[in-house]
Amino acid sequence: MAGLINNWLEQAEQQNSAEPAWLQNKRQQAFSQLESLQDPNRKLEFWRYADVGRLTQVIDAGTESRPESALPSGNEEHDLVVRITDSGFELSAQCPDWLVIKNINELDEELWADLSFDQETVVNLANVVLFDTGVCIEISKTAKPVSILIDYQFAESNKWQYLRNQIQLAEGVHAKITERLHSGRLNVVNLFQVANQTELLRMQDFILSSTEQLVSFNQFDLNSEASVTNMSQHLGGALQHHLHRVNFNGQQAKYTSGSINKSYNNNNIVDLIEVNHHHKNNQSEVTHRSIAKDKSQIFNNAKAMVAPGADQSEIEQDLKNILLSEDAKIFSKPELEVYADEVVAAHGSTIGALDEQSLFYLQSRGIAIEQAREIMIESFEQEAIVC
Amino acid sequence: MLKINDVYAKAGDKEILKGLSLEVKPGEVHAIMGPNGAGKSTLGNLLAGMPHVEATQGSVDFLGKDLLDLEPEERAAEGVFLAFQYPVEIPGVNNMYFLRTALNAQRKYRGEEPMDSAQFLRMVKQKIKDMNMRDDLLKRPVNVGFSGGEKKRNEVFQMGVLEPKLAILDETDSGLDIDALKIVSDGVNQLRSPDRSFIIITHYQRLLDHIEPDFVHVLADGKIVKSGTKKLALELEEQGYGWLNQ
Ligand SMILES: Nc1ncnc2c1ncn2[C@@H]1O[C@H](COP(=O)(O)OP(=O)(O)OP(=O)(O)O)[C@@H](O)[C@H]1O
Ligand SMILES: [Mg+2]
Repeated sequence: MAGLINNWLEQAEQQNSAEPAWLQNKRQQAFSQLESLQDPNRKLEFWRYADVGRLTQVIDAGTESRPESALPSGNEEHDLVVRITDSGFELSAQCPDWLVIKNINELDEELWADLSFDQETVVNLANVVLFDTGVCIEISKTAKPVSILIDYQFAESNKWQYLRNQIQLAEGVHAKITERLHSGRLNVVNLFQVANQTELLRMQDFILSSTEQLVSFNQFDLNSEASVTNMSQHLGGALQHHLHRVNFNGQQAKYTSGSINKSYNNNNIVDLIEVNHHHKNNQSEVTHRSIAKDKSQIFNNAKAMVAPGADQSEIEQDLKNILLSEDAKIFSKPELEVYADEVVAAHGSTIGALDEQSLFYLQSRGIAIEQAREIMIESFEQEAIVC
Repeated sequence: MLKINDVYAKAGDKEILKGLSLEVKPGEVHAIMGPNGAGKSTLGNLLAGMPHVEATQGSVDFLGKDLLDLEPEERAAEGVFLAFQYPVEIPGVNNMYFLRTALNAQRKYRGEEPMDSAQFLRMVKQKIKDMNMRDDLLKRPVNVGFSGGEKKRNEVFQMGVLEPKLAILDETDSGLDIDALKIVSDGVNQLRSPDRSFIIITHYQRLLDHIEPDFVHVLADGKIVKSGTKKLALELEEQGYGWLNQ
């Protein structure tokens, strides 16, 4: 039987396995789980508002007009650039002794973390079976504040690349980690393990053409008093599908997320953020700003789960969306699943066009309608820039 | 300068202006008064080009051009300025940035060189001084969180920076305290010149104590029903609009 899962399984069987037995074992478990699941389909909550078929298709480019980046140019100084290519990775400079970067295939067994995947995340599960590149970054306690850019540059943009990155941040570390892809087809899993009192600023900057696809799964495990700020910019793409899963494993930690999603042509973008308040006294703030043009489609959601006893959790979900054409579609869903008694939560979602009165106000001062629209869009995006 | 000739206009689906005519010559100040819902704002909005306000009949000539044929931004660049009765808040857009963008868009339309930020800053600082305005408002997003009076003052400040040929002030005096009323009228008076005209929509003749009008008109039920001098404003203040129905 053809189908995505079968393709993945076949591909996995062809992979050579000079890997340590424990990793082969992990792969085998994922392989068996894949065999028991169904191909991703429209009945799944995570795939309801995206064309699953685009995982296999190569899409016609048509006329390209890439959206403008909303973030300050990605070329600002980074202390270190990790360039991931078809043949592994390169570093722009030598690592100081408090920083270790290894190929993901050389990961120590005790550092491996099992991620929990199921039918909804079947495409991410495929990554466990197939990843053959990526890095493991360990930043130790004695580190200076550091900014690292992970830059993907693959020669063959038509081939799906399966990557896994694991980032370990020791207690008290201050790090900025930017992940950037400006062209390609990627299935990536990122795991961030954030120790006590650690501060992470993470940026995900993905700009794709209308022919390219990208699937990402991002897990953040936060210990006590950790602070993670995640800024995502997802522009374009035949398909972009992102899931951010945040686990509060201690107390008094904070997760702040800002997402800008912009689609045009026939793009599909899915941006899901799931925050699990497993324990008391943690705070999460999720802001989405999405703009869909032409015949494109965006699905964004923010889901917070508050476990029994996780009192004094604070949750904010702020989802705003703009449709720039009649044929564009946006689905936007803030969700709260609360099993604790004392929780402070605020959530809201709006979908609309650019405000006509504001546009006229700008025009009445001499600003042409196109520029007035740009100004309004820019100001709308600003609200999600959290870094 | 401006010649409105027998204009009928709809706002949304409703016919509001019903055969309105008005001529404004260079340097003149015309005050327009009239009961609530008479169509005063609709007239200002029609001249500025607001969406959903549409002329169904008649013509508007502005400095030799068919005003109704121009886009709102073109009208602005030609020299039309509307100080809104209800200025909108635009979060995330800085006032200074907005004003410079507007000014340079107008200059570009007129084939003039853009103003760089240093030049602009100098000019704005001077205007702030001349017009007795507060500069902290300029650092904030356009009208966001401004009090009613602050919004009106911001409108007048924009007018000062953009230096229009025809300024329409829609109830700019409403909601102003006595000092602000003075600041706003001083701002207008400073701009008065032989080639600049004003249409001032107001409910209160006290504004006209500060800004001396050449003409006062009463707009009722979509047309101008009475015109006169400043004396008319005083009479209206005393008598109200009851006489309209007699
Ligand atoms: N877009 C619209 N659709 C339908 N009716 C409208 C629209 N805009 C204005 N109107 C109506 O047109 C009439 C005139 O409104 P306008 O704002 O011009 O009055 P005005 O003379 O400025 O009154 P005020 O003194 O209260 O400011 C009002 O009855 C108003 O409700
Ligand atoms: Mg009015």
